[in-house]
Amino acid sequence: MNILRSQICTVLRRPLYRQLTTTARPFVPPAQLVFHDNLYVPGAKELDDSTVEALVGETNEREPEDDEEDPNDDRDKPHPDSPNFYTGRSSYYDNIIELQNAISRTRGTLQRLHLLPLPEFARKSLQPMPTVWKTPEEMTTDFETNMTISRYRRVTALLNELNEYLRIATTAGYADVADRIGSIISIFESGKKEAFLSRGIRKPVLLDQHGRSYTFGKRKTSAARVWMIPVKSTHETTSDVNVEEVFGLSNEPKRSSVNVTVSTILVNNIPIAEYFPQPVDRERIVRPLKVAGVLGKYNVFTIVRGGGTTGQSGAIAHGIAKGIFAHEPETGVVLKRAKLLRRDPRMVERKKTGLAKARKRYTWVKR
Amino acid sequence: MYFLRPRPSNLVWSSLKSQKFSKNWCRQLSQAQGPLETEDDWTDFQQTRTSLKTLTDAMSQYGSEQTSQWSLRDSLHRPAKDATLSALLASGAHFGHAASRMNPNFLPYAYGTRAGITLIDLDHTLPLLRGAAKVVRAVAANDGQIVFIGTRPDIRPVVQRAAQRLGPQGFHVGDRWLPGTLTNKWQMFGHETVRSKRIIPDLVILLNPIQNMNAIQECALSNVPTIAIVDSNVDPRIVMYPIPANDESPRTAEIIAGVLSIAGREGIAIRETELQRMRLAVDTAWEDFHKMHELQGEHPTEDGRPSNSNTVGFDY
Repeated sequence: MNILRSQICTVLRRPLYRQLTTTARPFVPPAQLVFHDNLYVPGAKELDDSTVEALVGETNEREPEDDEEDPNDDRDKPHPDSPNFYTGRSSYYDNIIELQNAISRTRGTLQRLHLLPLPEFARKSLQPMPTVWKTPEEMTTDFETNMTISRYRRVTALLNELNEYLRIATTAGYADVADRIGSIISIFESGKKEAFLSRGIRKPVLLDQHGRSYTFGKRKTSAARVWMIPVKSTHETTSDVNVEEVFGLSNEPKRSSVNVTVSTILVNNIPIAEYFPQPVDRERIVRPLKVAGVLGKYNVFTIVRGGGTTGQSGAIAHGIAKGIFAHEPETGVVLKRAKLLRRDPRMVERKKTGLAKARKRYTWVKR
Repeated sequence: MYFLRPRPSNLVWSSLKSQKFSKNWCRQLSQAQGPLETEDDWTDFQQTRTSLKTLTDAMSQYGSEQTSQWSLRDSLHRPAKDATLSALLASGAHFGHAASRMNPNFLPYAYGTRAGITLIDLDHTLPLLRGAAKVVRAVAANDGQIVFIGTRPDIRPVVQRAAQRLGPQGFHVGDRWLPGTLTNKWQMFGHETVRSKRIIPDLVILLNPIQNMNAIQECALSNVPTIAIVDSNVDPRIVMYPIPANDESPRTAEIIAGVLSIAGREGIAIRETELQRMRLAVDTAWEDFHKMHELQGEHPTEDGRPSNSNTVGFDY
């Protein structure tokens, strides 16, 4: 029935005298060899016993070459380990199957615990668990195959599903289930996970032993280093006793006394009024303090370099805003709404060829 | 086994009396609740679901009597040992391809045409399937390596389960068969693996032969017997044991792969019992031999036979 097989069998059938016709021995014309299996060859001569022994010995000692193989030897060898051996990528498919098994096992467990299928309101209350998987290059070494986009997507789809189950298990409080899933997921998690997840998050500014904050502000090409320290109030509130108020003889209503302090702002060791003669710049610097409502509360000392008046005042304002946020995190919302915590990205645009300035074009001439 | 954290017992009557089964519990389940904040909220959520399930299970015994006990068989996880005509018909195994595309060599297995497609004669399919199952059983019983090839996403789990049933002797290819797996094995697997492990399989079973002509060609070149599900647009002579059936139906593939893999499993079991029997026979023979020697050693006689006074009767 198998036509191809009969045609190919003739090609693969080995000649009887194969072992004696290679070039690694002294040449004996085939007509002079005697065949011991009763084939009549006219004019054949008997070989010496010693020559026959030498020839046989050589064939036995010869290392089998790559293309020669006795199929009967195969029967004694063990089976390949992986059931995915014939795919050529056994470790990749083994891992895929392991992940699929883990998913089905976990799904069964969560279904028995009535945590699956999860309705919408419950899904919203799951704690967020962002993860960063290994890059395709890192996975290539793990799986021992080149991780193309499609293979990577297949793996990450399975891992994301496992991560969902991990979220459900941890939020519902099943630590042992969560640990088991976590141990599988951690194999595929990137080592740079913390770094990746914390990018864009500001590092908290710490106050030093004296209660000072040290922050940095930038605008255009100016950079400002800002130190802020709360003003110590010397005014004693408890010693003043109004005799008339105590005996109820006063007609004026009781006013709550607000402790107003006076603060100083020094720029490059020069008072702000001297360093910035223009009120625009002074306003710009004081705006964060006004917005946060802490105008006289902090003494500010800055060292600013680079740029001109606008750049320097903008840089100081940026630094002051960050400093206020360090001292009082509750002001964060207000400062963010006023866009004071944002480093203004506007820089001087470069001049382009064919234009007079960055945008200004030369006068258009008709002819 | 995972259980809920210890709570008061969840019997039907206590559940009915408890708060969970107030007038609004039905509405609770169907409508959206607020977000679940604490772990206790989650436990309550699970509790409500468990109570409903317990109630349903308990009350089902008072429901109507079901006379029809039929349930759909999961032919992926628990396939049938033998394929029946009705099962093959139900899975659509008799649907061939377009009549205009019919291969003339397929004519012996065609029942006729209807609605422009060739219908496959399942009366030919069944004995050929049984014959193929015999081959699989025999190969498995002789410690043969069997490879299942099914390269579509819907039949990928079928070949995986089929290979699992054969244990260390079963292999599967669910994605593309790389050309040169058998004919270029030295480059494919490396010298160490080819020298130490058995590479050429003893039987290859294909569930979609048209997409795997490379594999069929390589098996022919390497003298590997093949079994395949041939559809009406395929020449059945490309493989050694064709099984004429619909190659596009996943249910048909489940039935056929199930029959063949279970036959393979039986072959392995036959081999195991045979090996056990042989081991037992060898062990008992050795025991007899040792006992004979002991007796000879105690009472040596001229002809080597033990003396009559102290013989223990042996049943030969």
